[in-house]
Amino acid sequence: MKLPRLSIKPAVYRVLRNLPMPLIAMLIGVVVGLAVWGVLDQLQNRRVAEIFNKELSARLDLRSRESLLRFDQYMTNYAATARLLANHRRLAQYLEPLFWFPEEDVEPVVYEKFQPFWLPDFFGRNALLAPSHVLLMDTRGQVREIYQAGAAPLPTEMLADTSAWVGEGDDVHTVLARVGDRPFLVVSDRVEDASGYGMGHLVVVVPVDAAFLSAAEGGVSDDDSAVALVDADELRILASDAPQHLIIGTQLEQWKDRFVVTSQSLPEYEGSNWNMLFATFIPNSSVEAITSRVVDVVRKQRVIAALAFVVVFTLLIYLVSARLNRVLARMTRFSQRALDIQQPNFKRGGNQLLLLEDWIQHFTNLVLKAREEMSRRHEHALRETEALKAAVMEASLDAIVTLDRAGLIIDFNPMAESMLGFDPSDAIQSDFARRFLDPSEHAAFLGMLAESGRWQIDHRRPHARGELRAQRADGSQLPVEMSIVPIDIDTERVYTLYIHDVTQRKAAEREITGLARFASESPNPILRVNCEGLIVYANAASLELTRGWGTSSGRLLPTAWIDQVRSALQDGQDRELEDDQGEQVYSLLFVPIPDLDYVNIYARDITEVRRAEQESRQHQSELVHVSRLSTMGEMATGMAHELNQPLAAIVNYAKGASRRLQNGVMDPEPLVEAMRQVSSQAQRAGEIIRRLRALVGKQAPTRAVMDLNYPAREVCGFVEFETAKLDLRIEQDLVDIEIPVSIDLVQIEQVLLNLVRNALDALAERPADERRLAVFTRVNGDHAVVGVVDNGPGIPAERMEHLFDAFYTTKESGMGMGLAISQTIIEDHGGEIRAESEPGQGTLFQVRLPLADVAADVQDTTVIEQPPAAAGMS
Amino acid sequence: MQAEETVFVVDDDEAMRSSLKWLIESMGMHVETYDSAQGFLDAYFPGRAGCLLLDVRMPGMSGLELQAYLARREQRIPVIIITGHGDVAMAVKAMKNGAVDFIEKPFDDEALIVSIRNALQYDEKQRALRSQRADLTARMSELTPREHEVMAMVTDGKSNKEIAAALGVSAKTVEVHRARVMDKMRADSLAELVRMVMIAGGEVS
Repeated sequence: MKLPRLSIKPAVYRVLRNLPMPLIAMLIGVVVGLAVWGVLDQLQNRRVAEIFNKELSARLDLRSRESLLRFDQYMTNYAATARLLANHRRLAQYLEPLFWFPEEDVEPVVYEKFQPFWLPDFFGRNALLAPSHVLLMDTRGQVREIYQAGAAPLPTEMLADTSAWVGEGDDVHTVLARVGDRPFLVVSDRVEDASGYGMGHLVVVVPVDAAFLSAAEGGVSDDDSAVALVDADELRILASDAPQHLIIGTQLEQWKDRFVVTSQSLPEYEGSNWNMLFATFIPNSSVEAITSRVVDVVRKQRVIAALAFVVVFTLLIYLVSARLNRVLARMTRFSQRALDIQQPNFKRGGNQLLLLEDWIQHFTNLVLKAREEMSRRHEHALRETEALKAAVMEASLDAIVTLDRAGLIIDFNPMAESMLGFDPSDAIQSDFARRFLDPSEHAAFLGMLAESGRWQIDHRRPHARGELRAQRADGSQLPVEMSIVPIDIDTERVYTLYIHDVTQRKAAEREITGLARFASESPNPILRVNCEGLIVYANAASLELTRGWGTSSGRLLPTAWIDQVRSALQDGQDRELEDDQGEQVYSLLFVPIPDLDYVNIYARDITEVRRAEQESRQHQSELVHVSRLSTMGEMATGMAHELNQPLAAIVNYAKGASRRLQNGVMDPEPLVEAMRQVSSQAQRAGEIIRRLRALVGKQAPTRAVMDLNYPAREVCGFVEFETAKLDLRIEQDLVDIEIPVSIDLVQIEQVLLNLVRNALDALAERPADERRLAVFTRVNGDHAVVGVVDNGPGIPAERMEHLFDAFYTTKESGMGMGLAISQTIIEDHGGEIRAESEPGQGTLFQVRLPLADVAADVQDTTVIEQPPAAAGMS
Repeated sequence: MQAEETVFVVDDDEAMRSSLKWLIESMGMHVETYDSAQGFLDAYFPGRAGCLLLDVRMPGMSGLELQAYLARREQRIPVIIITGHGDVAMAVKAMKNGAVDFIEKPFDDEALIVSIRNALQYDEKQRALRSQRADLTARMSELTPREHEVMAMVTDGKSNKEIAAALGVSAKTVEVHRARVMDKMRADSLAELVRMVMIAGGEVS
């Protein structure tokens, strides 16, 4: 399950994998919302600012125009008021009687701080600011009377050029004059007296100052906006309605950052000595407040739009993911059913899209794997079949040859090579029958081929079977058994030949006929008896046996044996029986052949064997006695212990008694009792000794005349094991004639055994290669001698005299009885035993026994010419 | 104690038993005889003073087996083995198994008496030691675990300061523990305490 992307951005992928779709949906919603918000913020703000600025400037224009209009209106009001004054009846009445002489220099009459008769109070009535001066001017332009409302006199510069104040015609002439930096509103109108005589002009002079401007604006502005009169050339403020904000005399430029300034010209009031602008000041702060309010509203709307995006996206993707979840679950079930996958191999949580991708990849892999597995299995099965077929062909004990319709070889196995001597290089496509069959068998073979194609009656596979003589490539022939199976491959028919070499079977058959002669040739009797006890067959060797039974071949067995024949046939078991006919002893082996209802009897003449066994048994009973003697050592030890008990008791009683007596204890009763015990224990000891004697002392001695060489040889055999251990061979120096002696064989063997053992013990001290031990026999006058000589360490002279004493021993394990008993035995036989020793050189023991008078003893003794075999004795 | 000492004779041979009883009684000692190992075990209870004359060759439980049986049960009555002629190998084995002596039949009465006396003396000493050990063990059981530690270290030859350092207490406290150990063990000197500990620990026999 590897995505190529995985290697590029594993971390991102891992994070994405573990995020569930709804969460991603929300994230995307938030991101998109933010993006929308960000874009809108940029575009909308700019657009709003543009629209707003345009609108604002329009509004400002309007507002400044309004201001100008109000100002204009205000000045028009002055014009109207000035006309009223000029045409007022009181002025006409006042002027009626007056006449102003044209003079060069006229000093005007000044009414200071009181209103002359000709000046009614109209200004207050029309809500106009009271003028600072009202002048009466004659037709020549000379000022005759001045009303001065305040303390300040009319600036004299103004009087210098009064002609500028007067307009053409009858209309009121309004002009904005300037004295220094101070602007004045100058309104003039023609004045007539009551009789209609033109007297000149009435001139109203109002200073255009803060009060004037505010009055003109009528307190309309609610914010910090202001209006001002500006010198158009110098762009300097000459008057403003808020001189505390807009300082008079300052440049227009320096207010531009705090106010939005709109300047308009006042052409109808010009024409005087200067150019003037009417400027409206709207403070920036109020503009910005509006702007920010608008921006706020827009921003709120944007947030709502972004939130709507988030909600819609989340909802949409959540619905999609829920749908995907259902699809995934369905696909998991499907894959489990379809592909037998236990584990869907993807987590339930996490990003459904990526999971889907994983799943599809996993599923594809599984399908691919399944396809591979199937094709692999198919191939494997194919290979296995091939291998199996090859193995069958290779390992077959039969030669397998495939022929086509024309009888040409298509295929053959290794056995065919070795059996028929196929040459692998050119056997293919050669004619099988001509090359590998005896020419006389061709017809038979063709017949088999033809027969093989026929279906059998019981619908078995068609095949033919028969024996033929095959011919090897080298010309030699062999008998074979051949089975032909036709096989139809596509439309082509081929024949498979299974050829089995039957040479050995033929040979075995010949062998069996040969074996049949065995029975007749056997030196042992062999008979065949049928179930009725009739001797069906008896070989030549059984003549003596059947004669003993009083029967012969073709006649019945003795009744007792017929019973045996029957029971052998019944249980099917071999049985071995013995037939003792007195002179001859036979062993009879009954072998039943239940299939044929016969019993074969294999007899064996065991007369000799039985006889030898009897003799062996006899000798064995004698050897039992030997072993009894040889265990005399242990017996003596037991006896010693037995004797020790009463002796120790006697000593105890005696010591106890003597102690008491020494101690002066003279009470006789216990002492007497102790003494009684002493004697009773002494009797017990005597009893033990008697028992011992009874054991050793035997019945009357048995004597038999025999060859003295015989026990000598036997004893050498007895110790073979021990001599082998010492790496020694006993030299037997025996005379080659029989030495007839009348002896108890067992006792003499015991004596010789004792002597040989002593010699072996002595030789153990010698180095192995120096050990020598010889047993010899001699005939010396009227007595026979048997001796044992060794080259052991010898016997010291001081020991020689005790040599035959009882209980004299130099051996740790010995008890000193051997030589004493030996001497007793030999003396019993009327002989003597003698020892000679040279310390360091060796020891010689000689036993002399009288020669037996064979002729005299022949009556009451058994002469054993041939000593019985002592097989198995050592 | 002397009056209660008994020479136990176990031998299957009646004559041997009664003759030994006769002989040993002539030495002025109390004798009890048993015809088998089982008979002895039925009558004997641990703690009886005396010694055991044991025939190695007996039907049923042999002398060696009885000796081994007693050793397994920590019944430490001294054993003298009686052997006949040719039983030396067995006697050697018995000695290796802890018999105090062996004597051969027939007996030399002087050798027998010396052997028996030695055995009885040995028994008395062992018994004294055992009772002393039991007494000391009882006293030791009264010690608190901390006092045991202190005693072990004191008898190891450690000074009060070393003990204090090892146990993380003040030398003064060790002094108090030590005094209490001496008091409870009823030891008059450090040397005596050391001897007591050795006896109780089986280091002195």
